Amino acid sequence: MSRFSELLDDFFYRPDEDVGGLLEFAAGSDELQPLVPEETPEEYLAFLLEGECYAVPIRSIREIGKVPPLTEIPRAEPWLLGVMNLRGDVIPVYDLKLRLKLTDKASLVAGPDAPPPPRLARILVAHTEEGPAGVWVDAVKDVVRLKPSMLEPSPPGLGGERDCVVGIGRRNSELYILLDLEQALA
Amino acid sequence: MGLKVLIVEDSKASREYIAATVESIPGVEAITTSSGFEALKLLPRYRFDLIITDINMPDINGLELINFVKKNPNYRETPLFIITTEGRDRDRDRGMALGASEYLVKPFEPKSLEGLLRRYLKLA
Amino acid sequence: MNPGGKALSEFVAEATEILDTLNKDLLTLDERRGQEADPELINGIFRAAHSLKGLAGLFGQDRISRLAHGMEDLLDRLRLGKLVMDDTALDALVESLDVLQALLVDASRGETSSSQSTRVEGLIERFTLMGAPAPPGEEDPLDRLELDAQVRAVFTEYEEHRLRENVRRGVALWRVRADFDLSDFDKGLAELNSRLKPVGEIISTLPSAQPSSASGIAFDLIFGSKVTGIELASALEGTPAQLSQLAARPPARGVVLTPAPVPRPAAPAAPPAASAALPAAPAHGAASVPAAPTEPRAPSTRRSGSRKSKASRPPPRPEPYQELPQPLLTPLPMMTPPPLPSQAFSEAGLGDSGSKGPRVDLDTSLRSLTQTVRVDIRRLDGLMNTVGELLLIKANLQRMTENARQEGTLVLSKAWVQELARETRQLERKLDALQSGLLEARMVPVGQVFDKLARLVRRIAREAGKEIDFLSTGGEVELDKLIVEELSDPLMHIIRNAIDHGVEPPEVRVAAGKSRRAAVSLRAEQKGNHVVIEVSDDGSGIDEQRVREVALQRNLITEAQAAEMNRRELLNLIFLPGFSTARNVSELSGRGVGLDVVKNNISNLSGLIDVWSERSRGTAFQLTLPLTLAIIRALVVGVSGRTYAVPLNSVLEILSIQPKDIRTVERREVLDLRGQTLPFTRLARLFGLPERNTGRHFVVVVGLAQERMGIAVDELFGQQDIVTKPLGGRLQSVRGISGATDLGNRRTVLVLDVAALLEDGMSPERRWA
Repeated sequence: MSRFSELLDDFFYRPDEDVGGLLEFAAGSDELQPLVPEETPEEYLAFLLEGECYAVPIRSIREIGKVPPLTEIPRAEPWLLGVMNLRGDVIPVYDLKLRLKLTDKASLVAGPDAPPPPRLARILVAHTEEGPAGVWVDAVKDVVRLKPSMLEPSPPGLGGERDCVVGIGRRNSELYILLDLEQALA
Repeated sequence: MGLKVLIVEDSKASREYIAATVESIPGVEAITTSSGFEALKLLPRYRFDLIITDINMPDINGLELINFVKKNPNYRETPLFIITTEGRDRDRDRGMALGASEYLVKPFEPKSLEGLLRRYLKLA
Repeated sequence: MNPGGKALSEFVAEATEILDTLNKDLLTLDERRGQEADPELINGIFRAAHSLKGLAGLFGQDRISRLAHGMEDLLDRLRLGKLVMDDTALDALVESLDVLQALLVDASRGETSSSQSTRVEGLIERFTLMGAPAPPGEEDPLDRLELDAQVRAVFTEYEEHRLRENVRRGVALWRVRADFDLSDFDKGLAELNSRLKPVGEIISTLPSAQPSSASGIAFDLIFGSKVTGIELASALEGTPAQLSQLAARPPARGVVLTPAPVPRPAAPAAPPAASAALPAAPAHGAASVPAAPTEPRAPSTRRSGSRKSKASRPPPRPEPYQELPQPLLTPLPMMTPPPLPSQAFSEAGLGDSGSKGPRVDLDTSLRSLTQTVRVDIRRLDGLMNTVGELLLIKANLQRMTENARQEGTLVLSKAWVQELARETRQLERKLDALQSGLLEARMVPVGQVFDKLARLVRRIAREAGKEIDFLSTGGEVELDKLIVEELSDPLMHIIRNAIDHGVEPPEVRVAAGKSRRAAVSLRAEQKGNHVVIEVSDDGSGIDEQRVREVALQRNLITEAQAAEMNRRELLNLIFLPGFSTARNVSELSGRGVGLDVVKNNISNLSGLIDVWSERSRGTAFQLTLPLTLAIIRALVVGVSGRTYAVPLNSVLEILSIQPKDIRTVERREVLDLRGQTLPFTRLARLFGLPERNTGRHFVVVVGLAQERMGIAVDELFGQQDIVTKPLGGRLQSVRGISGATDLGNRRTVLVLDVAALLEDGMSPERRWA
């Protein structure tokens, strides 16, 4: 069977469907940062939502891509932006801004009346227990390595009604709001 | 040229388990079949260095296969292991009487099979 | 090297296959209760238990291994004639199968529930209590057979036992020798087997160690048969087989044996005169009879007459046996009249006391534990060939691209363009073939589920004290694997309801002038692009006035609504959530227990469920399902600038209408279509999209089962084959959408769920979900 699926993969592979490489991102990032032996840093992907800087563990992200055409789902909750086609799989795309109370109006990004997506906007495809889910971000900032000593618990009142903010990361002068995507998408 | 081991076993999981153990030894290749008939066809086609067979199979039984193998001039000296399960002593004893070299009782550890394989294939 | 995570799924897959085989064979045994058990069937079940034991042992599944071991031991004694297959043994085996299924569910979830462990131990104990080995006979009948010791040495214990049985019964034994070519001997042997099986028992197939030629192989088949040598010879006509009889001397010490001056092996196929034509000579001689494996313990008085004396009966069983519970399975014949009709009901009540464990099995899903589809290797080979051809086309196209690139700005030749067109056509054809091949590979017969349900019917009937004739037809109809899997639970639910509450107890039926035994039938039939599955019974039917009362009591409908409802609409109220509770089960002959869930399951498969019922005549549930969910032909439509796909199998026609054609009846829009009123819905409005004033509408008339509806859209884009992807776990609850597809422009297009839309559109004021 494996030979069979390889053949099929080979046949149906379309390079134009590749949604950007996460590996590129990870590989080119932060290489100058020396490893501190006693502390194992974890890599986080930092991104912007309404000007705020958020970060999630990079291992929870399957890939990062430009915003593809999104198809809205009729009669769905406002924070479900729509679905996208990722190499044949249908993946829901969510708007965290509503969840995080950064805005109270759903963004118009899907359907025929939506303007073209902003140049820097990206979709993060995250692994979740219920399968892959897309998350709209206004821009991807960078990949940062955060050591446990750089993490702080989250101040109360952050992250809307849900416990989706798990802490704050502080590196030099930068602050990162650390999100639990599983919670945020629940 | 690698060493070739014929595995005749109708349970797929068991067959693959044995095959994986056989192939964990470098230079040894496993050729598997679920049927005694198929085994009869395979015997003249390859020159097997060792044969592992189950006793209970749907078409011809393992004892008949052993008998056939042991009477065949090309295979008279080829080591042959029986795979058997607990409680089937009589069939096992017959197999040994027909010229099988060793028997293994399911479930067995890969190590014990590997040890026997190395010994009979004269590998370190 | 120890099999780990991935291996668990392999274990579950293979164990499921083994259990399926066990289930089938046990069902056959169960159907033939009271008849002599077919030795091949028992041997098959033994082999299945044996494989399962080995398999479970390899994967460290101790409980499954232990139980399978217990079954194997029991079956071994049965097949070797040390124990007689009777109701007690069969019941224990059937129950073991249930426990094994529950254990496999546990295993697949990585759980170990203690209730199952208790059942395992209980069963193993029952197995060991069942019958001690019979005392050995004074003379081994095998010794009477003239058989080369060398040949005897390769018989397994089982083969030896079968041989012994045949000798003991005075059945003539033959050696059938045949030479075949090594390359296709299995075909030749299969041919030989098919000729021999109808006239006797093939005891062993021995490959001859002395090859007849370099590329040939000879086989000796040891064969027991009651027919004459002449008949045997004519059965083998045209095959390379040579026939010779194995001599057996008569039993020693004055044992009365009617047979057979057995002729010495004469020329091949020599007619052995009347000798071989003996009927199975009544075997006796207390001395040589260790046990009578062919004699069921069943309370069969008619048989004892054929026996010479009581002395030949099997020895009495040890005491504990008598204390074992009564048979668990009522002898419910599938289609044949019951051997002991009066027994069925009286035993039913006792059934429960037999199983000591909790009765969890019936609530266990019948769904397979594996996602695996067994595909005929030839189908895969076909697909593989198609892929190979596609690769060739790809190579051609690459070569053409390269040529075009080298030619640079030169005008492309006409030949080049023609070649491109040809390759494109080829590509299209091959993709079609690949598509239909893959589609075919997903199809499995619904019989897979029917078989499981048949066993369930017996158990439920027994527990409910009903006498049921269960008939299933159309098991060969094929459906997408996914649909078949999802069907088992809803069907189980409906059948359960039919037996528990639809069908009356035997006495009530007799009093009402009906036949004592009720009929429950399961029927599948393909109708065009759909499969219709019907579960029907000839029970008491549903009282629609009671349905109406209950619906009113529970505020599911208003008096005004109720007043307007016809009989069919009233009956359909049973599918409303909240319609049924445990309490009203018996009041309403039980229909409605969780039927909203059933309806939901069927809707998720883009199917429809309908109910027909007539008081005192019976009830029928009809499920209409699409053949496949994978690839369908769809009509592509546009609404408010969005694109949707409508499965073409539910599109009846397409109309173009003017606004004036739309009428309003009780605030619902309808169309007047050739004098018929057609419910009408605007997709834009239904989906909350900005409506466009287009002046005219296209109306897609959709229908499933008896329901019809017109759906207004703005544009029609044509037809296309689409691969529907489910929306996945996170989006499962989205209503009105059955999936998504890609029309080739990277834009995802949603596929409408016509069944759900029909429901929404037909009855917006009582939307049920």
